[in-house]
Amino acid sequence: MDLLIDALGESFAPATAAFAIAAIGLNFHFGLTGLLNMGQAGFMLLGMYGYAISIRNGLPIWAAILIAMGTAIVFGAILGWPTLKLKGDYLSIVTIAAAEIVRYAGRSQTFVNLTGASVGIRGNEYKGPFEDLSPFPDERITVLWWTYHGSASNSWWLRLVAWTFVGLMLLVFWRLSRSPWGRVLKGIREDEDAVRSLGKNVYWYKMQALIIGGVIGALGGVIWSLGNSVQPDSMGRATTFWIWTLLLLGGAATVFGPVVGSIVFWTALSLVKGLAKLFIPESIMPSTVIEPFALMLVGVTLMLLVIFRPQGLLGNKKELAFHA
Amino acid sequence: MITKPDTRLLKAVALLLVAATAFVIASLVLGGDHAAATTVDPVVAPANTPKSQLVVQGLINGTVFGILLALAAVGLSLIYGTTGLSNFAHGEQVTFGAVLTYFLTTKSDVSLPLIPAQFNIGLPLPIAAIVAIIIAGGTGWLQDKLLWGPLRRRRIAALQQMIVSIGLSLALVNLFQWWVGGERYRLTTSIDSRLTFGDYYIGRQTLLSVVIALIALAGVAFFLLRTRLGRATRAIADNPALASASGIRVDGIIRLVWVMAAALAALGGILLALYENGLSFDQGARLLLLMFAAVTLGGLGQAFGALVGALVIGIVTEVSTVVVAPDMKYASALVILIVVLLIRPQGILGRAERVG
Amino acid sequence: MPDPTIVAGIDPVPGVAKPDAILVADGVKRRFGGLTAVDVAHFEVQRNTITALIGPNGAGKSTFFNLLTGFDQAQEGTGTFDGQPLRGMPPAKVARAGMVRTFQLTKALEGMSVMENMRLGAQDQPGENFFTAFVPPLWRAREREITEQAHELLHRFKLYEKRDDSAGSLSGGQRKLLEMARALMSKPTMVMLDEPMAGVNPALTESLLDHIIELKEEGMTVLFVEHDMHMVRRISDWVAVMAQGKLIAEGPAGSVMQNEAVQDAYLGAHHDTDLGEDL
Repeated sequence: MDLLIDALGESFAPATAAFAIAAIGLNFHFGLTGLLNMGQAGFMLLGMYGYAISIRNGLPIWAAILIAMGTAIVFGAILGWPTLKLKGDYLSIVTIAAAEIVRYAGRSQTFVNLTGASVGIRGNEYKGPFEDLSPFPDERITVLWWTYHGSASNSWWLRLVAWTFVGLMLLVFWRLSRSPWGRVLKGIREDEDAVRSLGKNVYWYKMQALIIGGVIGALGGVIWSLGNSVQPDSMGRATTFWIWTLLLLGGAATVFGPVVGSIVFWTALSLVKGLAKLFIPESIMPSTVIEPFALMLVGVTLMLLVIFRPQGLLGNKKELAFHA
Repeated sequence: MITKPDTRLLKAVALLLVAATAFVIASLVLGGDHAAATTVDPVVAPANTPKSQLVVQGLINGTVFGILLALAAVGLSLIYGTTGLSNFAHGEQVTFGAVLTYFLTTKSDVSLPLIPAQFNIGLPLPIAAIVAIIIAGGTGWLQDKLLWGPLRRRRIAALQQMIVSIGLSLALVNLFQWWVGGERYRLTTSIDSRLTFGDYYIGRQTLLSVVIALIALAGVAFFLLRTRLGRATRAIADNPALASASGIRVDGIIRLVWVMAAALAALGGILLALYENGLSFDQGARLLLLMFAAVTLGGLGQAFGALVGALVIGIVTEVSTVVVAPDMKYASALVILIVVLLIRPQGILGRAERVG
Repeated sequence: MPDPTIVAGIDPVPGVAKPDAILVADGVKRRFGGLTAVDVAHFEVQRNTITALIGPNGAGKSTFFNLLTGFDQAQEGTGTFDGQPLRGMPPAKVARAGMVRTFQLTKALEGMSVMENMRLGAQDQPGENFFTAFVPPLWRAREREITEQAHELLHRFKLYEKRDDSAGSLSGGQRKLLEMARALMSKPTMVMLDEPMAGVNPALTESLLDHIIELKEEGMTVLFVEHDMHMVRRISDWVAVMAQGKLIAEGPAGSVMQNEAVQDAYLGAHHDTDLGEDL
């Protein structure tokens, strides 16, 4: 029973919301435009650094968020400039490389004063201003079966803000994907040359999609950092692959796919870990390997999804988002 | 894929030399304070070593690393060339070679996932390595038989297959962590003795690794250029439909390519584990991007491009430590990748593609 | 029907100047490695005509087409469309300037509905701007106009019943029609058709030909690449022939096939090519 409550608690955890937001960003890239961005974790990490470093230097929250978004805009523009004219594989390799460059730079001793190198930035250095805004009491609060702090770190306050953000981003995606702008992106996803022949500047639209998705990814990073700390290695390649898995799980190109995907992904992961701990004897699977075991299943899930149900839970088979 | 060894190879080598020279000069000019930081790296000379000497030693190390990286990466290029798949699980093939060799050669007790028993095999390293390479080749065969072959028959798009390979990579890297845990292991406990020439040095064992790698690479070149099967492989890379129509057994060749790619990756993994004096469950995952960078630099799908690209990456990685901190050396290799893509998107050896 | 009066008085020699040329190409060269795919000294297209571009396989027709429409860049040469220089102009700009093309392998956007395909063809939709897209009142009115225009075209091309189906569910011929209708959404002055009849069943061929003739009647200029000489003879006012990258002959459809260079080019390449004549 505790297991089930824990797993259900995951379904509305701040991390679940943060990944849902990052996946909405990826949905602009892949779902709408067909761009293979394999560096979404890099956008998240930049958002985290942008926010945390700004706050640490005394900037107000709104300015820190703008800086987080601005970093993602610059990063997206630099990435897109050389690669959006090339074949899809190149974009995937360059984005994954660029995200790793961000991570290497973040954990390098060279910038230790800015980023804290591989240790990162501790939560108490940047969470203060956000937590001060909390209208909730400064104590642990129990709602139904779940007890979290009202305002600090992994709190009810953060949950409220995070899911409000998810709602906002869903609204943005819904509005844009049903606009003539979104129609151009869908056309590009189907066939760039056709859209070019109709007089649309394909390169510029792809750039816009890359940037807007990256900015949303950075916002996801900010939300994530408010529940954890800024640690470069938490935003490695695996993180990008999880975002892909949960987007494809929920259904690429659908409005609610990223959110459903994130909720199912994190709930299921928590369930699998809990069940493995309960039912598989220690002699066969020591508790230390339960994490890699669960993540191995994530990889297998991604494979099976892409092969057998690429449209995910909510997607439409006809609007398949894979184009060679 | 490769075509006739025409002037492009010469041009590429020239380009490589120019790039390397430019980089060395830049390092000499710019190499300021960071020389001190390199003392963190145990194999690097003391802080008062002249920069020019560090650069030359970096060139030596970089060439070694580049050759070993080329060996690991050539399979990635062959697979892309024949099937169009960017195989993100290739890094795990590299890890597999090293981990399996460790499993077979170590004197410590080891176990397998889900099997509550301890083993102690303790084969001599060369035999363990050969057995590991053969088993790794077998996994290549098995993978193509069970996974990639059926996907090709179902006409799953290359990009879709690429994401399948990402899933496979995620599954395997965690399986390896489950298998051997998070620590770093060494394949051999002996300490590599150094051959010194004046101010410079290279390990004896490293030199042997390089010779083995060069023989293997020469073998691949011989296979592709001089054997019937190799020519068929190149024909498939150039035009699969035409190759199939002219009676080449495309599926059989692709399976052979998978076996070769997996075996070469395993050999590369073993030699790299010796060179870096350690292996871990994510060894290949860390190298994957450098391999992609090498292959992309050389021109996706160009087998010899992988060699040229890997040398560039290897040299940049090692020489860059003169200018930037050692913990940024992989980052500098990736920066070079992006810069080269800007200037020459088709890679150093790639052909400009015909549009429409 | 071919109209000999429009082109009367124009010399049937390759590269001849036309009295009212809408499209002019000069000294266009495109090499791939050592191979020169296109080497056209001079070529003009007369306004409001149907001009066919023919030639044996590998003559460089499609490459020349790509060069004219901005999908490929020539190493040498210049061109103008309606007085505007074409050199270095990206394909989207060429299209916005009024020269819209279709493709040999039809590029219907298969995951989208027929109607969405059509709407995408329209120009000047303010909602295609990122910021305006957030505010529907700024683009709803234009969207209604576009939809109305699309309905008309879909009726004309007999695709109205299919408007809500996905473009992927259409037959090959219907996709060709959709592509042409979609190109017309931008109200072009010149339409470039790359093998419009390829892979279309005979029943639809007739209506496709009628549609092409209608384009001319509405004042547009048509340049098309085609293999089927019967079709070429039925609708084109003027025919230009390419072989081995060069423009080797020009003239009215009826007489150009008698040209010795043309016969050599065709017979040299394919002895069994049907030249569409009752020899």
